[in-house]
Amino acid sequence: MITGQAIFIGFFGLATVWFGIVVFRTFSMVRSAIALLFSQTALGAMFLTMQAEFLGVLQIMMMATEMSVMAIFMVMFMMDPGGMGEMDMSHQKRLSLIAGFVSFVGAVAVAVFIDWGPVTITVVDTAKQTEALGLELLGRSMLIFETAGITILTAMIAATAVAIKPVPLTVNNSTTGDLPVGDFPVDSLPTNSLPAQKEDKAK
Amino acid sequence: MNVELIWTLITAAALFGVGIYGALSQTNLVMIMMGIELILAGALLNLVGFWRYLHPDVAAGQMFVLIVMTVMALEMAVGFGIAIARFRNKGSVEMEEAAELKE
Repeated sequence: MITGQAIFIGFFGLATVWFGIVVFRTFSMVRSAIALLFSQTALGAMFLTMQAEFLGVLQIMMMATEMSVMAIFMVMFMMDPGGMGEMDMSHQKRLSLIAGFVSFVGAVAVAVFIDWGPVTITVVDTAKQTEALGLELLGRSMLIFETAGITILTAMIAATAVAIKPVPLTVNNSTTGDLPVGDFPVDSLPTNSLPAQKEDKAK
Repeated sequence: MNVELIWTLITAAALFGVGIYGALSQTNLVMIMMGIELILAGALLNLVGFWRYLHPDVAAGQMFVLIVMTVMALEMAVGFGIAIARFRNKGSVEMEEAAELKE
């Protein structure tokens, strides 16, 4: 039977897939990031429709932030962020299309032909859900939750360490790292120094 | 069979397929990350669907969703860190120009 919930799930499902497709169909990278934001927001709306209110709100909030950051990075990194030059940045399209289609058909076949067992129509109250999730996080799953926190911290430090501009060590005005700073002749720079830094020193 | 569950799973399968297409077909690192985000979004939707329609009384289902969201955030953080390092060194995040990583 088609219920109101099924109609909304179908509507938001179509929206999330459509915007997901738009991500790879537009030449503008900023539009891609915004399309992904809409796709993830529609996904959050699906969660809300499925009465998982905490997860739905969390999804929308997280993805709004994440996609805003992504749009900024797009503008920073791309030669043509607005897509005015209609530059094609894809390869092996045919293979990718086949892989995507086969994955979709395989997953749909599993979804349709497997007997998932009895379905529960009713769900516990939202406040009770959140309470149960909180108790789960601080009870049986605490170790998993804490591990996730430590992993996020590690990733933040690792990402910052990778992204930071390399600053070499100097001891007694002599270079110990591969990228010295301070007063030194340009010739003393190691061969693997960045060209821009060599130019800066030459000036 | 429950219509809502099937539609949820089909939507998740479509997101997964679109994500696979994007991750394989794009040459830009940030666009590849967008494809991976869509793949993870499909996984998220599956988890919420299974929790809602099969085991709504088990909070561990929502716990799995939180872990996948964490993975999404980590992927973004590490991916952008690598993108910045690559851009600083080579002036581009085009992955076709990163063939030396194979060697």
